[in-house]
Parts: sequence; structure tokens; C-alpha cells
Amino acid sequence: MGGKVTCTLGEVKQRADFIVYWGGNPAECHPRHFTKYTIMQKSRFLPRGRKDRTMVLVDIRETKSAKAADTFLQVKPGKDFELITILRAMIKDQRVTDAQIEDTGMTREVLDKLVDQMKNCKFGCMFFGMGLSMTRGKHMNSAALLTLAAELNAFTKFVAMPMRGHGNVTGADVIMRWQTGYPFGITFNRGYPRYNPGEFSTVDVLVRGDCDAAFIIGADPGATMPQPAIDHLKRIPTICLDPHITHTSKLARVHITTAPQGIAAPGTAYRMDELPLPLKPALKSPYPTDEEVVRRINEELQKKPFWMPEGAPLTMTAHG
Amino acid sequence: MSTVFRLKEQPNVPLEAEVLCPDTIADLSNAEIRQLTVFHGKRQVPLEDFFDVEGDGSVDMELHGDLKKVRWVARAMTKGSVTVHGDIGMHLGAYMKNGRIDVHGDASDWIGAEMKNGLIHVHGNAGGQVGAAYRGDMQGMKNGTIIIDGSAGLEVGMRMRRGTIILGGPARDFCGLEMKGGTIVLREGAEIRTGAWMRRGTIISLKPLQMMPTFADSNEFNPTFLNVYAKHLQQYNIDLPFAADAGSYQRFAGDLSVPGKGEILVWNPA
Amino acid sequence: MIRITGGKVYDPANGIDGEVKDICIDDNGRIVESIDGGRTIDATGMIVFPGGVDVHTHVAGGAINFARAMTPEDHRRTQAFIRTKTRRSGLGGMAPTTFATGYLYAGMGFTTVNEAAVPVLSARHTHEELADIPIVDKASLTLMANNEIMLDQMQAGEYERAKNVVAWYIWAAKSYGVKAVNPGGVAAWKWGEDAKQLTSPIEGYSNLTPGKIVTQLAQICDDLKLPHPMHLHCNNLGAPGNVSTTIDTLKHLEGHRAHIAHSQYHAYGGDDWDSICSQTGQLAEYFNTHPHITTDAGAVLFGDTVTITADGPWQHLLYKLTGRKWGNLDVENETGCGIVPYTYRPSNLVNAVQWASGLELLLLIKNPWQVFLSTDHPNGGCFWRYPEIIKLLMCADFRKECLEQLPDKIKGKILLPEIDREYTLYEIATSMSAGPAKALGLTKKGSLGVGCDADVVIYEEDPTDIARTFAHPRYVLKAGEVVIEEGDIREAPDGQEFLVKPHMAADTDEFMQPRFEDCYTMQFENYPVELERIERKDLQELPAE
Repeated sequence: MGGKVTCTLGEVKQRADFIVYWGGNPAECHPRHFTKYTIMQKSRFLPRGRKDRTMVLVDIRETKSAKAADTFLQVKPGKDFELITILRAMIKDQRVTDAQIEDTGMTREVLDKLVDQMKNCKFGCMFFGMGLSMTRGKHMNSAALLTLAAELNAFTKFVAMPMRGHGNVTGADVIMRWQTGYPFGITFNRGYPRYNPGEFSTVDVLVRGDCDAAFIIGADPGATMPQPAIDHLKRIPTICLDPHITHTSKLARVHITTAPQGIAAPGTAYRMDELPLPLKPALKSPYPTDEEVVRRINEELQKKPFWMPEGAPLTMTAHG
Repeated sequence: MSTVFRLKEQPNVPLEAEVLCPDTIADLSNAEIRQLTVFHGKRQVPLEDFFDVEGDGSVDMELHGDLKKVRWVARAMTKGSVTVHGDIGMHLGAYMKNGRIDVHGDASDWIGAEMKNGLIHVHGNAGGQVGAAYRGDMQGMKNGTIIIDGSAGLEVGMRMRRGTIILGGPARDFCGLEMKGGTIVLREGAEIRTGAWMRRGTIISLKPLQMMPTFADSNEFNPTFLNVYAKHLQQYNIDLPFAADAGSYQRFAGDLSVPGKGEILVWNPA
Repeated sequence: MIRITGGKVYDPANGIDGEVKDICIDDNGRIVESIDGGRTIDATGMIVFPGGVDVHTHVAGGAINFARAMTPEDHRRTQAFIRTKTRRSGLGGMAPTTFATGYLYAGMGFTTVNEAAVPVLSARHTHEELADIPIVDKASLTLMANNEIMLDQMQAGEYERAKNVVAWYIWAAKSYGVKAVNPGGVAAWKWGEDAKQLTSPIEGYSNLTPGKIVTQLAQICDDLKLPHPMHLHCNNLGAPGNVSTTIDTLKHLEGHRAHIAHSQYHAYGGDDWDSICSQTGQLAEYFNTHPHITTDAGAVLFGDTVTITADGPWQHLLYKLTGRKWGNLDVENETGCGIVPYTYRPSNLVNAVQWASGLELLLLIKNPWQVFLSTDHPNGGCFWRYPEIIKLLMCADFRKECLEQLPDKIKGKILLPEIDREYTLYEIATSMSAGPAKALGLTKKGSLGVGCDADVVIYEEDPTDIARTFAHPRYVLKAGEVVIEEGDIREAPDGQEFLVKPHMAADTDEFMQPRFEDCYTMQFENYPVELERIERKDLQELPAE
């Protein structure tokens, strides 16, 4: 079985002598990643900085990030999962044929070298982006890379971490975990948290038309989600909290303008490695914070009759 | 006499109705069945708000209507039968222990998930995660049979431990993902990544498959167990070719990345 | 105001052993001599304890939160807490959610918990989680023994500097004390190595040994006048034959105060997994002759759990042994953690030795003020299973029954079959409340004396099942408020957090900043947790020497 083997970005800065970016384009999407955390940094363990580190970029096309890489590997579109699975086999000295390797866009020579680098580095780190996690195979592509990293620990120190998108996605994930046990894809309809990505994840709920209202904070699904999901948001009462006018705010029945987080509203943001960073507002906003709006809505809800009936709870614990 | 349920009001959000199960209703009167609680979204309502119920409780149930939003029917059932006329929602027969479910229509995701035994036959198409393990669990279906006449979605038989899944139509990606045992029969093949990360178990495909690179092609053969197995499948009206003059099976072993000892048998007609 | 009357009171802090007496509580949630009016709780025939104190648990922060994410299958099968008007929803199980953690602890009469492992870097996160654990009061300990800035000062022989660095980190984390995990070993793990010998230099350092770290850090904790001494997770956890490392560590602590965490995991003889045996006799003897050192059992209970520890190397070994899921998180400059789900089985010889060893330590260490109830939650078992341990301690016959499940090969490897001791209620109250409170330096906890916090538990004795008695108290009072009554959660007030501000040299900030910027990836000024973020706090400023 797999798992997740990871570290904070400071560890990468201090120790990682071998770095792989897979399906991400940090040069354009996370412009400070190279300079702040990964390849450009000098540290006590890697005093020569860039010279002491090797960077491999794996992607389906040659992005700007390729210039910064020591090696660029162009994987055939839709073959990431196959390529990672081949690597999992190769690190265990399992036989994979040349034809099978070439089908992913690689050659045996290239992969032999990559496996050799992976096994013999002192501290390896793989970052993966949406080019991996949001293409065909989705969560299994991420699982594949995380498993490969875990298995490489039989040979050396190796970690992996996702390059999360903008906004405080990680923070939402962290807090949902401590309050409910699950990171996302949660329903509370029975008065306690239940989890099933694909059933309860927002995009699936919207596409199937499984909800009759939507409350949206810190996201713009109107810009990013598939059309059937957007159509459903238009059909139902959608309430949107956002400092700006967005695609979602335009289709929402109610748009409450709030103070921008980090600029005019305080709080905590969780970095992609789950480090909590304080947000210290520099400006004052005439608008309320998201937190205040939610608190006031909650106060009004408290005045309504409680929605859970008294009596024996109807839980659905497993195997029942 | 079967107890008959007719959907009279279409739920506008999912209706969780695990009470629609022979074990729950068998000993109840008609009036008691009507008062069973179902969850319409977060609202707890009596079953009769959505269903007309005919007859007293029995171990045999018939459901009629467009039940696409009705979830968890026959959850953990241990006896009797459930016959659905219409489409049915997620988790049909999940954790099922025994009995028989027939769907004359399409089924959704997670049917027969983590089932222990029994039979599910879907005459139309099914969604994903047929007979699969719920997220985080180590094992999917542990025994029993799922027959789907039509197609199925992603991750069919994910982490299944034992039992049989037979698909009349094609499967989508990751069929037999991390399989640990049991058999999947694909009469119309599958999309990609079939058998990915499988440890043990058998996938039989009557159509060519796009193989994962981490499967080793071994020599063609007609394993003897196949004719026994083919006879076993005849009870479900499934014809599995095995006569040597009709063709042969090409055997792939994997998934080497695990490394696993599963096998994929692909039929080559003569 | 509340008067508890008629109950048999067990209050070891004041030497009260089963005497029938009234306990009076004023409107400030304190215990007082007497009150006029107010509610009376008739506890006739019942027993009255000070609220339980967990000296070593993992309930909040990055590691347990990682464990939650890794175990959805456990959440599905576990106890669900349904939302009510006064109670938030949550899930129990191996890694309970925050709200459920508070309800579960209070539900078995525990009112104070010590979160024993906080990396400073994510201390802000830990405090946010602690704030979401209702009812109980909380303390937290900062992970120090692998902090590279501190290790560099120790290596250079700069004791005073090292001490200031420790003080700076405690205050930055807004914590209550120092936790040392596998000194030097976690730092070495970052290169895939471990530190098993106290006298061998640590990977990456020329002369710094785990032994030197142990001695100096204990000295620092003493010199900073921390209310709780150094809280030490020794090197070589879980390995056969590790008792020699543990005894060696204890010898490095001569002359200092210290608390040894989960000593069950450090009390093994043998050379490998086949020959592993209990060496608790040796370890207990050391404690019996060194009364200034305390410990908690880290007892193991058979069943499913998830193991989480800052001991990365051990977790990688466990992953290889079990082939199950593995999570690992290394934290820059400070520490790391590993997470592996695990099932302890009576049929497994190693697990059987572990199960017996935890109980042996609790029974062989004579003074209950020195050895406390713990499972190192969730590592040896979940905290909500403590009542099972109490039953094992109080009933020798029940222990004998359980011993019968163990494999025959266990003969000669454990001492438990020869031990007849049974804990008294007084000793239980010491081991689960008065003792840990004293070791933590929490003077208002674990005592029913006048002026103390009115955290009181009233149990209805069920002579047929002691575990039931302790799992389902009739009443639980937290700061004078009835929070549990008749098995129901009546109120879920917020608890407070204990913090200390140790004294440090005035130039410590200037000393830290360049070193910090060298190895961290966040702004220096963003690193310390702001005091105002901790809503309910009990802050103690510590004097200079």
C-alpha cells in the first residue's frame, strides 16, 4: 500500500540534491519556487546551490521551466501513469520491454539514468502539478507518484508533494481534516461527517444536480467548472462571498462583497507544505470579512428551529 | 408476495433509503413500512412521502420508478430479493451479504461495494467502482457475483478480494485496479489501465486490451481451469470460449510494479 | 455553586483515601471550604476523583491531522458524534476529530491533556486545533532535541546560547515545556540514518552525541525553571534489547529532573524480533531507586490503532514490517514525523511482549506518583480505552484471563504472570490524576484541595466491571460546571491553555534571526505564534536564575 511521504519546503531548500517537477510549470505558475525553495538556494549541505542540485522536469510539452532543468523528459500525453508505474517496476529490477518504455515517449537509456539518479541521490523530492493530478487518471496519477516516492525510501531519502493552486486550498483541507476527519468531499446531511469523493465533491454534486442551494467562499467555480455544473449553479439559489466581481458572483442570486483575505482581513493561510502562515492585513476595508459574514449568518440560523429531529440518531457506520 | 414500492414523487436532491432492504421490512406491516425514515438531503421524512407501498413486509421487494437519486437500496442485505424496474442510484447492494438484486434499467456508482456474497444483475449499464473498496479500505468485494449486461465506469473491482464481476459491455479506465483476487470477465474489453497495480486475481477479456507496460507477455495458453470456469458461468447465460479450435488465450502477468502475481487473459479467436 | 455530598473521596494530593466528605465549589469554578446554597449533588455510595490528567497524548497538530487523512476507513466504522444544538459533530476512533476528542476525554472523566509533540514551525496550527478541542484544559510541549540551531550551539560548547535558543523556541511556540524525541536520531533520519548509541557522534556532527544532548537539555529545562521537566522519548524506541539504551539515558540524567515518555517502548531485551523479551524489571528497579524521575507507561492494548511519532526512522521500519500505508513528514530544522496504521494482536509474540511490558511497568514501579497511565495515544491504543487498563491494573484475575490469549512461546519472556499486585482506587487516582498533574507542575490540577480548579469526576462503582465504572462516570465537572451528567454531554465549554514565558537573554532575537533565515523558508517575524491568538490562556512568567 502507498501513503504519503513528504516534508516542509525548508527541508527541500536545505537538503534536496535531486528535484523532479512532474506536470507542473513552476517558472510561470509558481515563479518563486525555484529561487526560494528548490534549485537556486545555497545551504549548509549544498553550499554551491544550483551546482549541487539536479533538476528533472517531466511534462507533455516543453514549457519555460524546461530551461531551468538539467534534464527535460517529454512524456507522451496521457502516459504519465504508465511512466510512473514503469519506474516503480524498474526500481525493483522488474523487466520492462523497450517497446513498452518507448510507448510513453521515453527510451531505456533515459529511464536507466533517471532510476540511477533517483536511487543514488542523498535527498530526492518530487513536486507534481495539475498537469499530472487533473489529467486522465486524476487521483491515481497523484497516488502513483506518492507511491513511487514512498518506495524509493528503500534506497534513499525521498519525498513528494503536490503543487497546490492559488487561494488557501491547503488551509481548507487542513481544517476540514481536524474538524471532520476528512479533507474534502464531505456531507453533513446526517448530522455527522461522511466522506466520498466523486459522490460529495463539489463538482460532482453540481454536475449531477444533487444540491438545491450553493454557498461559495474563496473560489470561482463559475470560471473553472464544467458547463453542467455552472448551469446548475444558475438554476439554484447561489450565494457568493468574494471581494471581487467574478464569474460566480455574476451568476449568483446573492453576492456579498467581503474584505480581501491577507490584504484587509487577518487569518491563517496554509502553504502547500501545510505550514501555517499568519496573514497580517496592511489595509482597512469597508467590507466585512468572510468570517464575520459567516458568523452573522450563523447567528440568524440559530434563531430558526434546529433541523435535526430529537431521538435516536440514524448513523450509517460501515459494515452494518 | 413481494412488497411493492412505487416512487410517486421525484426527489430533487438525493434520497438515502437504506431502509429499502429485505432485512428491514421483512417483518413490518404496510403501515410500519410507510413510516420508516429516509433522508431527503438533510431532512428526515417518512418513506411514504416518496413511495406508495403495496402489501406487508416480505423478503422480496419490487421497486418501480426513476430511482436515479435513491441511494443505498439493499445495503447489507442478507436474504431475499430486490427487483428494480427503472434506473437506480448509488451504493445499491453495498456491503451485501446474501440474496439477489436485479435491476431492469441502469445502475449508478458503487454497486456491490465491499459485498460479502450474493448476486447483483444489472440489465442495463452501471457506473464506476462496481464491487470496489470504499476509499481507504484495503479490500473491495469479498465474494459473490455481479453481472452487468451493459457497460461500466471507472475502477471496476477496485481492490476486490474474491468473487466475480462480468461485464457485457466495455469498462472504462482502471478496471481491476489494485485487485487482490477474484475474477473479472470483460466481454467487450475496456479502455485503458486495466489491471493496474493488481496483486493477484484474473481478468479475462474477450476483446483485445491496451495493456499496461508493466505486464509481461507470456506464451499463449488455454488454462484448464477455464473450461471449468466457463461451465460455472453458463448458469448466468454467459458463454466463455475455451475450445482449442476456436482460439486461444494470451496470458499477461503483472502488475510488475507491485510486483504482483495477477494475470490478464486475452482471447485470440482462431 | 455546587456541593458534592456523601461521596467517598479519593484525593491523593491531600492524602484523602476514601473518606466520605463534601466537596464545595464556588462560582469561580474553584474548590472552597464551604458554600451557602447552590446545587447539591448527592454522591452517596459513589466515588469522587479529581479530574483525570493525561501527561502524554497526541491530539492536535500536523501529525495527528496527517493520521486523520490517512484513515478514512476507520472513521467510517467508528463512533459518530451527531450534531446537536450544543454539540458539534465529529468522529471518534483511532485519530478522533478535535470536537470528538474533547467529548471523549471529558466523557471518561479526563479534564486536562498534554499534547506532547509540537514542532514550533506548525505550532500555530496546533494551537488552532487545541482551540477546537472543547471542555478539557490543554498544555503542549515543543519538540527540541533535533533542532539544528540548538544542536549547533551544543556542538560549539555554547551552553548559555543553547539555553537561550530553547527559551526562545518555547516562547515562539507558546508552549508549556520541552519534548525531546530520539535526540539526534531524527536529525540523522533526514539523511536516512538513525542514532542508536548514546555515545556515538550524530550523523552530520563531529563530537555531539545523543548523550550530550540529553544531559544538556535536561540541565536547560532545570535552569529555565520550567514547571515540567524535560519530557524525553529515548533513543532506540521499540527495538529489541533497547533497555540498555534506556538505562544508559537515565544515567545521563543523574542529578536532573526528567519525565521519560512511554517507557514500555524502551524496556525490551533480546537481540531480534524472535528473542525479544520484557526487561521491565531492570527499568522499574531504576525508577524505584531514583524517585526524582517520572514516567508514563505507554501501555499497549490489543486492537487497531494508528502509530504516529516524531521518530521517523522507527516508522519507516514499521512500514516495511507491515506493508501498510505510510505517511512521513519532515519539518525543516526541527523534527519529523511518521504515521503507520497498525494492529496489535495477542497472537503476535512481539505485540504480546509489548502488552505485558506496559502493565509490568505500571505494576513494578512501586510509587504511583512516579508512573502514570498512558497509551501514548494513539500509538499503543486510543486514549478512550484507558478504562480497560484500569481494569487490568485493579484485577489480577482479569489479567490472568487475558494472559491465556497469549501464545505459549511467551513463557519466560514476560514477568506479568508472576505479579499479584492490584491497584487500589487511591493508587488509580494517583496514577491518572494527582501524579501526572504534579509531574506537569500544574498546581491547580489533580487535587481537590481548597483553591484548586473544580475538575471533579463522580463514578458510580460497578463492582462487576471496573472498566465500565471508569468509562461512564455519573458526573463530570469542569471548572465547577457540570459537563457530563447521566452519560450525556450537557455543556461543552472551552478549556484553557497553559503557557510559560521562560527568561532569555535580551539579545536572543538578534542572535536567532540570521541563523533562522539561513535555514527556514518563512519570515522571521511571522514565525512566533502571536500571544493574542490563544484565546483562553493561563500564562506563567518564569523567573531568571
